[in-house]
Amino acid sequence: MLATHLYSAGRALDRGASCSASSLLSSTMSRAVALLVVCALLVFGSSGVFAASNKNPLVPNAVPPEGTYDGEDVKQPIEFPHYIHADVNKINCMYCHTYARRSKVAGIPPTGKCMGCHSVIATDKPRIKKLTEYWEKHEPPPWKKVHDVPDFVHFTHEKHLRRFVFDNKGMKVENVSEVCAFCHGEVKKMTVAHKVKPLNMGFCRRCHEANNGPHDCWKCHK
Amino acid sequence: MSLQNLLQDWSRYRRGREEGGFHNYEHMWGMSIDLNLCIGCNACSVACYAENNLAVVGKDKYEKHQAMHWMRIERYWDEPDLGEGRVSEYQQHGASFLPMNCQQCNAATCEPVCPVAATYHTPDGLNAQVYNRCIGSRYCSNNCPYRLRYFNFYSYYEDSWPEPLNLQLNPDLSVRDKGVMEKCTFCIQRIRVAKDKAQREHRVLQDGEFTTACAQTCPTSAIVFGDMLKMYDPNSTNPSSKVIELWEKHQVELGVTEQEKHNPKIRGYRVLEHLNTDPCIMFLDRVREV
Repeated sequence: MLATHLYSAGRALDRGASCSASSLLSSTMSRAVALLVVCALLVFGSSGVFAASNKNPLVPNAVPPEGTYDGEDVKQPIEFPHYIHADVNKINCMYCHTYARRSKVAGIPPTGKCMGCHSVIATDKPRIKKLTEYWEKHEPPPWKKVHDVPDFVHFTHEKHLRRFVFDNKGMKVENVSEVCAFCHGEVKKMTVAHKVKPLNMGFCRRCHEANNGPHDCWKCHK
Repeated sequence: MSLQNLLQDWSRYRRGREEGGFHNYEHMWGMSIDLNLCIGCNACSVACYAENNLAVVGKDKYEKHQAMHWMRIERYWDEPDLGEGRVSEYQQHGASFLPMNCQQCNAATCEPVCPVAATYHTPDGLNAQVYNRCIGSRYCSNNCPYRLRYFNFYSYYEDSWPEPLNLQLNPDLSVRDKGVMEKCTFCIQRIRVAKDKAQREHRVLQDGEFTTACAQTCPTSAIVFGDMLKMYDPNSTNPSSKVIELWEKHQVELGVTEQEKHNPKIRGYRVLEHLNTDPCIMFLDRVREV
């Protein structure tokens, strides 16, 4: 019912806008309607109706958290192209970030995992040559952390993946990158990962409220 | 959120006293400490230091009562009766020990006084302290009748864990900084790990599956830790536990201000329970004349 109301309200707003644009005649009546509509949008927009509208069809039973952020570019030892791996070649996020499904941290793969493919694939590319150098030196590339939360926040990848992927009926594990994108953005379109979500407490809380997450402080802070 | 939790919990507790206590609990952790088994070895205290990243403050600050021991052994002496006018501060015998960690009171006096709702009651029946919310007013500590809350007067990080000792820090919980109140959490990080494991395996948490660091370390098994929800809420589906057995054996009840014993020889009491704090730790010691 609310959706219908909003829909008609939105149409009224459109009509009101087009009216004022086409003819300069604007009655006090239409102004009042427009004001009412704006108020309705402000009130209902904050109550999650709009969040429901931007639901991701690939992730059932979930309301993606809202919020944007423009993080600093992090200079990595090798400019790892996420888009080639996750988008072009459709490698599952959890193939490399293998700890995500069973521990607090998602983890960075050991260099051995990179070399599993790259001892034969694209060995002539400059980035792979750099990787091979590290491999031959027996040193891992000193990757830098992009998504970091304060030490008093105990975020668990495992529990979130269980809620949104493994225990989520109708969710396909192939589409896990859509769930990762809730907090990490469209990493599969990026080269080096870039922080695009605020990852602050308000961001977490809004999502917990929309998705019936726990409200206990000690779930995350201890 | 937290403020709302706090207000709801408090009124729910007050209302619940007539209806039989808190409702919608997931667990209710409790403890039993047998003082006749306690040998005062301080192993529990040391285990707590190691498990919970407690700062070692040094002798000077210890003397100013600024030590950070969440589990402390209080020592009491019988009246000095050495005869022939001899007086000794430390007697050959007659010592009794009282291990004191946060009593996790159901009607915690520290909770309602916090100006920023940094301390509240969790659905686990624990009295929680949220470090990043705490502003260090120390009101809770002043309101605790047991004096079991500890304040970080300084930043102890560098003095307490110089390199490479910082590698011994437990990563499952925060290292507290200056200006924050802290207290025993009943090893919440262990509770979380065990609960997560049970949830992953789609089963209920069993009694004795995990325990707190102090109970694990106690050489005489004087400390017993477990879930008491079954005792508090008979409709609960949580399994019964060793702690409940002990509480029932020693006829100690929750939600009362004085334990009525059918037999005066049955041990079991709660510290300062006449203050109506309703603590979750029971001590076992026979009341005796000295």
